[in-house]
Amino acid sequence: MSTLSFYWPSIKNEVVKLKRTFALWLSVISALFIPVIYFLYYLIKYEGLIPKDGENPWNRFISQQINNASPLLIPMFIVLVTSLVVQIEHKALGIKHLFTLPVPKWSVYFGKLIVVIGLVLFTYVLFTSLALLSGYIVGGIHGELQFWEFTPEIQRYLKLLFRSFTGVLGIIGLQFWLSFRIKNFIIPLGIGLVLFITGLIVFRAEESIYYPYAYSMLSLFSLRGEDVNALVWLPRVSIYSLGYFLVFSILGFLDIRRMNIK
Amino acid sequence: MITPIIKTENLCFSYAKHKKDITSLDLEVPKGSVYGFLGPNGSGKTTTIRLLLGLLKKQEGEVFLFGDSFSKNRLKSLANIGALIEAPSLYEHLNARENLQVAARYRRNVPKGRIEEVLEVVKLDHTKKKKVKAFSLGMKQRLGLAISLLNKPELLILDEPTNGLDPKGIIEMRTLIKELNEQHGTTIFISSHLLSEIEKTCSHVGIIRNGEMLFQDTVKALKNSENGKLVVEIENDNVSLAQETLRELDIATDVIEEQLLSLTVNEKNEIPVLIDTLRDKEISIYQVKIKDNLEELFLTLTENQKS
Repeated sequence: MSTLSFYWPSIKNEVVKLKRTFALWLSVISALFIPVIYFLYYLIKYEGLIPKDGENPWNRFISQQINNASPLLIPMFIVLVTSLVVQIEHKALGIKHLFTLPVPKWSVYFGKLIVVIGLVLFTYVLFTSLALLSGYIVGGIHGELQFWEFTPEIQRYLKLLFRSFTGVLGIIGLQFWLSFRIKNFIIPLGIGLVLFITGLIVFRAEESIYYPYAYSMLSLFSLRGEDVNALVWLPRVSIYSLGYFLVFSILGFLDIRRMNIK
Repeated sequence: MITPIIKTENLCFSYAKHKKDITSLDLEVPKGSVYGFLGPNGSGKTTTIRLLLGLLKKQEGEVFLFGDSFSKNRLKSLANIGALIEAPSLYEHLNARENLQVAARYRRNVPKGRIEEVLEVVKLDHTKKKKVKAFSLGMKQRLGLAISLLNKPELLILDEPTNGLDPKGIIEMRTLIKELNEQHGTTIFISSHLLSEIEKTCSHVGIIRNGEMLFQDTVKALKNSENGKLVVEIENDNVSLAQETLRELDIATDVIEEQLLSLTVNEKNEIPVLIDTLRDKEISIYQVKIKDNLEELFLTLTENQKS
């Protein structure tokens, strides 16, 4: 009880601090990006995109969006948004204040971490909603695309997004630690991008299953095959990613707890 | 004897291995005092404050706040402290009220009306929706102070609180410190590199240089340590005649400026006698000023021992 009574105010405060920040806008813009491109694509090039008889147009429409967003954009978004959220604190010289309040340090650290995860989750939800909404709108304009005749297979898309989301938790854990420790916003950003680009290069190798920055690719890779239903909710990458997340978060906290605040 | 609010024993800290930044510092701040922590720039004032609040990990020694070991009672001690360390911690994209709400929510037991109260105390209640980004340095400093007052702390720690304030702001800050101390019994720990600031507000003083405590006692004791002699400056229209006259009274003088003489007397009562003597010689006197000898004392204390 007393533990939670520290945690709730911390989380609530972190949400308040997001008000009017670029981090918040970035997550909205990132969610908007791919659905808007696909909306325009289907709006202009609809003639070549009319589905065959009996084919559900939603599957291609949504799966392609997920395939385009998840491997590349999401990790970059995470690296950027994590740095930005923690930067709000650094810019305010806030850590020295937070650590002199009668509040346990873990509630500060994990309160912020939860809000970063919440922000990423918010982007996923917004992305899904916008992808569906853009399908219905473009289907309303061009009836021959048959978006209104079929129902989207929501569960299938959610499964993909869930795999993608759990796949990136590992890098959230590490990026958050780096951003919290290093005041200069460019350093965690640079490290994150280098590690991610390395992931892009090595993800085809078998060993990349141990490299969290390759997970955004790995979590969807098998999806390129035909049978999506064979996918499970929690593939091996997701489990490893959760493991990395736990390890990095706990190590990060132990490190931050004994850090000298200058 | 009453237990001191802040007490450190043999406190040591260094940022780098080869140099000690704080060397066996014994600090003692009595309850109900206004304690001035004085030292030149870079002498370790802020480092000491950060050690007191646990922002830096002490390497040796012990910190006691409210009579208890700080490391064992961190949250309990912090609940009774308000602190403003260097530049205030403010979220610039939020307004004053929102900043206070955030701090109040962390502290959990701040009554609702308290936010308006502290805004009034620091005279920021008119800022409405203005974001902190648009605040002047002095306003930010005052908001930082408001945040540190939210929990009606028993102990208020202020690191160079008058930084960035205009003369009016400095006077207001002084009044506020006195008020808090006298009316609410708040113990106040202020660091400053300006002796005049400490002299005007504090009851106790600690002087630090290169991480070592040079002097610690009441301000009164500091003043007395300079055997009561006063340096007086007299501005007049005939310096050479005045010098000659004073020489007859066995008083050595220095000419500082064209019309300005400096001399030392043993006590205040001698001053009117001197003036009368000078007036008898029809020397016009424009100004008589008692020089603050504490300033010199401070300089000797902090500069001399350069070993």
